[in-house]
Amino acid sequence: MIRALLRFELAAARRARTVTLFAAGFALASLAVALVGLSAGGAVTVQGFTRTSVSLLQLVVWVVPMMALLTGAVAGAECHELEFVVGLPLTRGQLLAARWAAWTLALGAALFVGLGSAGIAIALLAGAADGARYLALILVSWLLLAATLALGLAIGVTARTRARAVGIAIVTWFVLVVGVDLVAIGVLAILPPRDAGWGLSLLLLADPVDAARIFGLGLFRADAIAGPTGAALRRVLGGWGAWVLVGGLVAWTALPLALAGRWFARRDL
Amino acid sequence: MIEIRGLWKRFGDLLALEPLDLTIHAGEVVALVGPNGAGKSTALRILAGILTPSGGSATIAGRDAVTEAVAARRELGYLPQKLGVPPTTVVGDLLELVAATRGIPFAQATAALVEAGLGDRMGAVVAELSGGQRQRLLLACATLGDVRALLLDEPSISLDADGADEVRESIRAAVRRGAAVLFASHYLHDVALLADRIIVMVHGRVTASGTLAQLAAAADVPWREEDGVPDPPIERIYRVLVQRGREHAGRTPLRLLKDDAA
Repeated sequence: MIRALLRFELAAARRARTVTLFAAGFALASLAVALVGLSAGGAVTVQGFTRTSVSLLQLVVWVVPMMALLTGAVAGAECHELEFVVGLPLTRGQLLAARWAAWTLALGAALFVGLGSAGIAIALLAGAADGARYLALILVSWLLLAATLALGLAIGVTARTRARAVGIAIVTWFVLVVGVDLVAIGVLAILPPRDAGWGLSLLLLADPVDAARIFGLGLFRADAIAGPTGAALRRVLGGWGAWVLVGGLVAWTALPLALAGRWFARRDL
Repeated sequence: MIEIRGLWKRFGDLLALEPLDLTIHAGEVVALVGPNGAGKSTALRILAGILTPSGGSATIAGRDAVTEAVAARRELGYLPQKLGVPPTTVVGDLLELVAATRGIPFAQATAALVEAGLGDRMGAVVAELSGGQRQRLLLACATLGDVRALLLDEPSISLDADGADEVRESIRAAVRRGAAVLFASHYLHDVALLADRIIVMVHGRVTASGTLAQLAAAADVPWREEDGVPDPPIERIYRVLVQRGREHAGRTPLRLLKDDAA
């Protein structure tokens, strides 16, 4: 029954134009970033994935949360219109989980197409050095996608209407992508760096976008540009930082989903 | 088969459904009629697990509709008033989901679709179907498997005369299989042709209930069952009882059958 529900949701997600547009748009943007990165650095002298991957990571942390939050918000709000499906012998938690899984798979595939095509271009033009790290970057993108999609679903389910859900999703995106960094800079301005370490590390865990960004930069040894939160994380957690970030992203997936499931199960449609 | 005891629902300040008591036996058809906002859909949606009741209880084939919601829904088919599925859903995908949740083979579900005259629309997107086709599809899904209770909210909506005939025949087939049917409708012709009992609701409360003949007598409309079903003056009966319900708000409703403590 769970498989049938997942197939049902996956079929609906696959047919959505959002996925095709995202796949095409993200592939084009990724290719553009990769090619511009290679030509700017000089494909002959810069070998492998490192330089362009850092640029692609910036694209990922801006575009993926926006796409996932909006898609999740709309999919969550739509749950309130599925009276026939909710009237079937299944729980609302199962419906929500299947929705999240289906959209994660569909958008994850689109992400793979985008980053995959850029990866092929980079490998052809600059060699395959650091290819494994590039695959890890795709994995980080998926983790970020899963987390922000869960957050979007929670927003949609609680907001109830699409318009309100989309509005809250946009504000959330701004807070996660820009707001938290501004708070980090503010914390650093107020507290001496030594005292701010734990606070900044916690702030990093409180933001899945920043967590994915720091994790990705760490993959390509680009710690110097990881910003104040990244520096604080390295100082406080040392070698465990990466695992803590992955744990944080997993928690950012599980908690919103659990809360949304709980909320949805108790509300009138 | 369907047991409702003191079921009520409040939305904020609005008492949408006053305590309702009702028993519907296997093979029986009960119709809910009344103006918009009478509480008909609210009652059906509580039984289907879409709304949580503010109080009271309901069981479907012995399963509590709230505490054993999934088990209760396994015994019932529900047709909501609105579409209730994503418009981009493909007919075959929906059928597969319903078959899987009811634990019946897909071939059996396909046969039901063919029977509903939609055998050639398996690959169609729901949004591409006409209103009548959508209604037939959802009704075929709702009656799939041997459900023991059917809850139908406006089953004949958007249907032409032939479509409405087919829907009535589907309901009769479910009744022959022993299902208890509770449906809400503004189409009084359907009500007259299908219902064993009719419940008139106004402002969330039952104002009258009974057979058509009993309601005719209560409304002082001269008509006997022997006069024939095709043209009972149900419109007149309905108008008299709804008007009386509005005038008598807050007073004891008409009790025409022992079962239906209003």
